Amino acid sequence: MSWLTGFLKSSVGRKFVMAITGLFLCFFLVIHLSGNLLLYIPGGQVYVDYAEKLHSNEEFLILAEIFLFAAFALHIVLAFSTTKDNLNARKKSYRVVESKRKDRAWPIAFAPDYMMMITGLIGFAFLVVHIADFKLEWMWTDALAGKSSAQKVGIILGDSVRSVIYLAGSLALGYHVSHGLQSACQTIGFNHPKYNRGLKIISIAFGIIVAIGFSSFPIIAQLVPGMLDFPDIVDVEVSRH
Amino acid sequence: MSDSENMTLTLRVWRQSDCESRGKFVDYEVNNVSPHMSFLEMLDVLNEQLIVQGEEPVAFDHDCREGICGSCGVMINGQAHGPDNETTTCQLHMRRFKNGDKVVVEPWRAQAFPIVKDLVVDRTAFDRIMQAGGYVSIKTGQAPDGNSLPIPRQDQESAMDAAVCIGCGACVAACKNASAMLFTSAKVSHLAQLPQGDPERSQRVVNMVAQMDAEQFGGCSNTYECEAACPAGVSVEHIARLNREYVKASFCSTAEATIQAAE
Repeated sequence: MSWLTGFLKSSVGRKFVMAITGLFLCFFLVIHLSGNLLLYIPGGQVYVDYAEKLHSNEEFLILAEIFLFAAFALHIVLAFSTTKDNLNARKKSYRVVESKRKDRAWPIAFAPDYMMMITGLIGFAFLVVHIADFKLEWMWTDALAGKSSAQKVGIILGDSVRSVIYLAGSLALGYHVSHGLQSACQTIGFNHPKYNRGLKIISIAFGIIVAIGFSSFPIIAQLVPGMLDFPDIVDVEVSRH
Repeated sequence: MSDSENMTLTLRVWRQSDCESRGKFVDYEVNNVSPHMSFLEMLDVLNEQLIVQGEEPVAFDHDCREGICGSCGVMINGQAHGPDNETTTCQLHMRRFKNGDKVVVEPWRAQAFPIVKDLVVDRTAFDRIMQAGGYVSIKTGQAPDGNSLPIPRQDQESAMDAAVCIGCGACVAACKNASAMLFTSAKVSHLAQLPQGDPERSQRVVNMVAQMDAEQFGGCSNTYECEAACPAGVSVEHIARLNREYVKASFCSTAEATIQAAE
């Protein structure tokens, strides 16, 4: 299997694995956002039913979580590994750096492709907080006791510190994928003059949708708290206990 | 042309006496710069001034001064080969600058391109990547008769678009990761699309990538700054082809690197 270790040690191989895991995580974001948007259906019952259905299939959930964890872990570990190599490749930086790309809309220091590590790190920090809040319910044990899945969203995001973290995380994630999606396609070898422009537009649009979609929840929870407050809802899971 | 059209520029040039010394920026005022001069001719004027003053002239690489040899190349105000696209430093003209401009001139900066002196860098890392597989070892014989070896026009065009790489190193210089992917991919893509290069395509890409990593170039983040900086106009579509070639060679062939990749 020396060919496989050789592949995984090479710069191209590592980027390929990052691209595949990145595309899988983009697919997950689509599913996650679609599910979350069900919260905007008045009453909240549709979201609760969806959450109940998702959690009723335990085998699928475990398998999905293993895949997700593996994808996140690989993506993050390889990001650090490639970044370390990239930093070592130029130890003395330039006095002045100016892009020659004519399609750059703003200074390169703030361009999504130059901020991948920073937006990725913010996204990672957000992920840790998000799992601690919604999966492990750390620090929320008493507040969330007996509450439905929909009510939990309103309670957690009603916290001002959490809403800032979720807002920053969502925006960083959107910025990250706006470059990540098109970059992953190039890295797996998908580059064709017929589709390049479309892919770039789709990638940026995807980033905007992710940023607006996910950040809408903390914003709504703060500005229109009634929208994410579901007093009458009954969670099947909760009522069963 | 009257002297009144000539410019005075302030150059901030990187000076480093050898690869071991620290190096620093030194400011020089260059007078009588004609807008019709190339950037290298302007550096010649600076060096004449320095020699008259008894100072060490600025060392910079150059050869053909026609934009085809790939010898010249410096960072000019943070841009590889200066502000013009698809232009080498020797083909950049001083009419792109205004009287009184301040111009920062730096060498290519990459661990794989150690500075030899001032603006001269050692680019033999590129030679070693080429030696790792940037050739065909099959006997191609005499020049064949026209049309005796049918190659689809689009393949021939694409292969030639990759073959135009002059190996100047601007792609490495412009990349935030000092990656040599555009250079390496140009040669991989050039030969993979032609029947002469086809038999060794798997071994070639595996070896060239291993050598590229061993030379401590960075990885590709797809910022496409390399494509914008390339004086020969090599496209990043060749990087995508290298990625495909590498994955295919790794998973679907018996090719293994005969060069040890860097840990």
